[in-house]
Amino acid sequence: MPKQAQGTLRRAALLSALAAALWPLQALALAWGIGGWVTEAAPQASLAAAGAFAVIGIVRAVADRIAARLAFHAADGVIHDLRQALLTREARRPGAAASSAALAAMLTEKLAILGPWITRYRPAMARTKLVPLLILALAFYVSWAVGVIFLVAGPLIPVFMALVGMAAKEASARQMVEIGDMNTLLIDRIAALPDILLLNAGDASRAAFEARAEGLRARTMAVLRVAFLSSTVLELFSAIGVALVAVYVGFSLLGEVNFGTWGTGLTLAEGVFLLLLAPEYFQPLRDLAAAWHDKAAAEAVADELDALEADETTPVLGQGARAEPLAGPASVALHGVSVRRGDQLLALPDLDVAPGESVALSGPSGTGKSTALDLIAGLLTPEEGQVTVAGQALACEIADAWRARVAYVPQSIHVPDMTLRRFLDPHELGADMDAALRKARAEGIVAALPEGLETVLGETGAGVSGGEARRLLLARAFLTGADVILADEPTADLDAANGAAIIDALAALAAEGCTVIVATHDPALSGAMGRIVTIGEGAT
Amino acid sequence: MRRLWQVLRLLWKAEPWAMWRGAALAVAVLIMGAALLGLSGWFITATGIAGLAGIGIAFDVFRPSAGVRFLALGRAAARYGERLLTHDATLRALARLRVTLLARLERFSMPELRRLRGAAALTRITADVDALDGVVLRLALPVAAALITHGAAFVALWALTSHAVAASVALGYLLGGGVVLWRVGRATLTPSSQAEEAMQTLRQRAIGMFRGRREAILQGALPRWRGALDDTEAEARGAMDRLDAIDTGAGMILAVIVALVTAAVFALAGWLVVDSGLDPARAAIGVFISIALAETLLPLRRGMAEIGRMRDAAERVMADPAPHRLPKRTGPAEPAQPGAALEVRHLSLARPGWTRLLLHDLSFTVMPGEMLAIRGESGAGKSTLFDVLAGLEPATAGEALLLGKPLPDWETVALRDALTLVPQRAALLSGSILENLALADPDLTEDKALTVLRAVALDEAVSARGGLRSQLGEGGAGLSGGQARRLVLARALLRRPAVLLLDEPTEGLDGPTARQVLSGVREFLPEAAIVTASHRAAELDAADRVLTLETYIPKNRYF
Repeated sequence: MPKQAQGTLRRAALLSALAAALWPLQALALAWGIGGWVTEAAPQASLAAAGAFAVIGIVRAVADRIAARLAFHAADGVIHDLRQALLTREARRPGAAASSAALAAMLTEKLAILGPWITRYRPAMARTKLVPLLILALAFYVSWAVGVIFLVAGPLIPVFMALVGMAAKEASARQMVEIGDMNTLLIDRIAALPDILLLNAGDASRAAFEARAEGLRARTMAVLRVAFLSSTVLELFSAIGVALVAVYVGFSLLGEVNFGTWGTGLTLAEGVFLLLLAPEYFQPLRDLAAAWHDKAAAEAVADELDALEADETTPVLGQGARAEPLAGPASVALHGVSVRRGDQLLALPDLDVAPGESVALSGPSGTGKSTALDLIAGLLTPEEGQVTVAGQALACEIADAWRARVAYVPQSIHVPDMTLRRFLDPHELGADMDAALRKARAEGIVAALPEGLETVLGETGAGVSGGEARRLLLARAFLTGADVILADEPTADLDAANGAAIIDALAALAAEGCTVIVATHDPALSGAMGRIVTIGEGAT
Repeated sequence: MRRLWQVLRLLWKAEPWAMWRGAALAVAVLIMGAALLGLSGWFITATGIAGLAGIGIAFDVFRPSAGVRFLALGRAAARYGERLLTHDATLRALARLRVTLLARLERFSMPELRRLRGAAALTRITADVDALDGVVLRLALPVAAALITHGAAFVALWALTSHAVAASVALGYLLGGGVVLWRVGRATLTPSSQAEEAMQTLRQRAIGMFRGRREAILQGALPRWRGALDDTEAEARGAMDRLDAIDTGAGMILAVIVALVTAAVFALAGWLVVDSGLDPARAAIGVFISIALAETLLPLRRGMAEIGRMRDAAERVMADPAPHRLPKRTGPAEPAQPGAALEVRHLSLARPGWTRLLLHDLSFTVMPGEMLAIRGESGAGKSTLFDVLAGLEPATAGEALLLGKPLPDWETVALRDALTLVPQRAALLSGSILENLALADPDLTEDKALTVLRAVALDEAVSARGGLRSQLGEGGAGLSGGQARRLVLARALLRRPAVLLLDEPTEGLDGPTARQVLSGVREFLPEAAIVTASHRAAELDAADRVLTLETYIPKNRYF
């Protein structure tokens, strides 16, 4: 936890404990007032006691509020920092194992689970440390017998806390799993609903869901029966504490019990004071037990965060930011490069591509064709060896500037939710789209879209087929003036028309003087390139 | 708000008897808590007076102290019972809520349901049903119990102390507390919608950024994407902060109300003791009960602060589906070809919501026992064609006849009995393999299940996993892609439809297995007309005829 949040939280916890410690003063005001009723004090005494009670009550309410707000700000700060750190780290690690949905879930609802732990558990812990001790001291000051009643319960408190903690932690963990199961079950059914409906199986599926939900309920209740017992014990202690104090004080006042005070006997005011202290002695503990669940949930999230952090995938080179294109020739070289694949090192053959050259990388799948393209684009860092671009070693400082010259057509394209215009011209340079689309043989695609360049693409928008998306990316290469074109299997799984259009566009780019490097199995495409480099078997 | 009431009724009715008993115990807990403090206060004050007067011997100590003990134990027991009963009833109610949600979703159109499969949509649904979990436990039950307890306290205070004390407590808490809570409910409506909205946007943007980060890095657009994300986060945090300010502010005002009501009752009781000779012990009851009644008020804040969130969740969960009937048409253009299982005439179709035609003037006929493969590039319109043939989407022009009857004339249930579509992304469920198969055939026996698994060459893999009763994870996890594909096929075969539409049925299978599966399918359903959408050699070879879609793609599409 960052220092600043830690400090805020410490102040919040302290203030919350101090506010709770005001109760004895309020109790004193009431006790003094009620004592006055019997000894027939002046009527103004009641008014004064009521006034004091109200004023301290208001101070306490305000202090509580300030403490709660401080705790909220601390929690908000912690969650914000973790969120930012997670975003910064994961945005530059496209190769990491965690799924996008899992990362997004961590970013939103899972990190939010830390909130209640910080705002409820920590202040409750601070109150537990201060308030019972204070009340114990006051009780002893007035009557050692009541002090003993509290004290007997006192050593039991850590025991019960441990017991309640263990039981509640286990129960809440199990319960969370069960409740989680009910939602998992639901998600499962909803995701399969189209298929269920196609099978005419709506009724059967709901019946099965009900049966499994009933099983979950029975198991959850078995756990809850135990879990509730432990918190009931706490409540019972609190209630018995009040009852014991009331009975002891009553008997003392009647004179039937003559021990337990420091010789002077108990007055009514002292008796009322003790009675009012009793419930508050146990209250912090009850709050803590109620917040235990928050702690368990927060620990589970912390574990998941650690697991994410343990992934050692290295980030891409550079910041992924926009930069002025790197100066120098459009040349690429790989020398003695190998990359880590699991436990093994995969060595790639040396490659020198001169400016304006067009090269097809061919060879069986799995031998590193796509890896080579990723290395050239600075998306991967080699374990050994040197990647040279534009005559310089490819390093963090120049990666963004180098990528400003590169257009990369991946095999499967994630089309983001944005308009086609924005997709083609990400930095809104306002270049001539029509010419670029024409050169990439892609003007027909745009003409056929419902709203032309303003059509929204992506998951929530209109779909374009894989082949169409690749052609649009090539159009973007013409548009941005990229002079290094990387394409990974650009003609795979395409019909003849789409494939031919892509080969034409790549040839056009090469004719304009671009350096073109494609990874491909397609003889038609390799034939259109100036040179073929074989990677894998038979390569040196 | 109407939807929220609907949800409340639904939850309550799932187990009304347990809910009522739980509610009664909730009231008992509050009343016994107030009575415990009230009786203790009276007892101490009365014994104090008796002690001072020196008549301690005559004081009946046993009944009050027995009462104190009874209330102390009774309260703890009632609390235990209340929590058990209400949680049990709530768990039943939650299951009911989810079943109702499933039944409602079944009335949605297929494209809407397919959209729901995304991670963001599914999390939103779970977040919504989770928010509704609190409707009874955190909102309805505490409010009802508080009102009843205050009613009882009013009567008791009137009888034991004075009408002025009773009225002060009731007015102070019900009016003061009521107004504060009402205003909290109102004030949080907007920020809680905003917070929820911003959180969902944040999730969607985050998924978008993580999925597209490679692309964003290549474009040098990562900082800009990140900037949009940070703005959304700031918005969400702002809304949460406003919510917390309202919530803690309400907590503060409620605590002040408790202090003021108690102080007012105390001053009033003191004045009554001096002025009209009210017994101090009885006066003490008023003070102690007004302290104890704070317990009715403070827990309501949380439920009231969540009311906006619950309302929005209820609106979404109980939302009515958009009407999505396919247009009815009068009779086919010309008489049906006798005996044809599926007849397609001059069909043109577009992607839903698009004007550009995917396919134009497509006609073919499939006879029972025949297998037709439709070949085309991905994105060419195979899946849209199958959706039209399965009656999920309307055709732009032309018609399709199933067993001689135009598709729009079929009732949904009968249509799905006659025709089964296996989409590309068919999903399995968590549960056993047998349960997954039984979805298609409720009377499924193990023998029948094994027969159909043999037909799709999955029997050995299943017995290697531990048989029909072996469990699958969420979405059928635990099977390889090819195994899952075959289980989905087996499930469809059990429907024994007259027409079977298979979208890339052997995806993920090696060539020999694919051939084996396809011949098994034909053997299992010798009378069925089978149409596959294919680009794999095994599927094209197994078919009696191959139809190439490229011919039907409007010529002006690209060039």
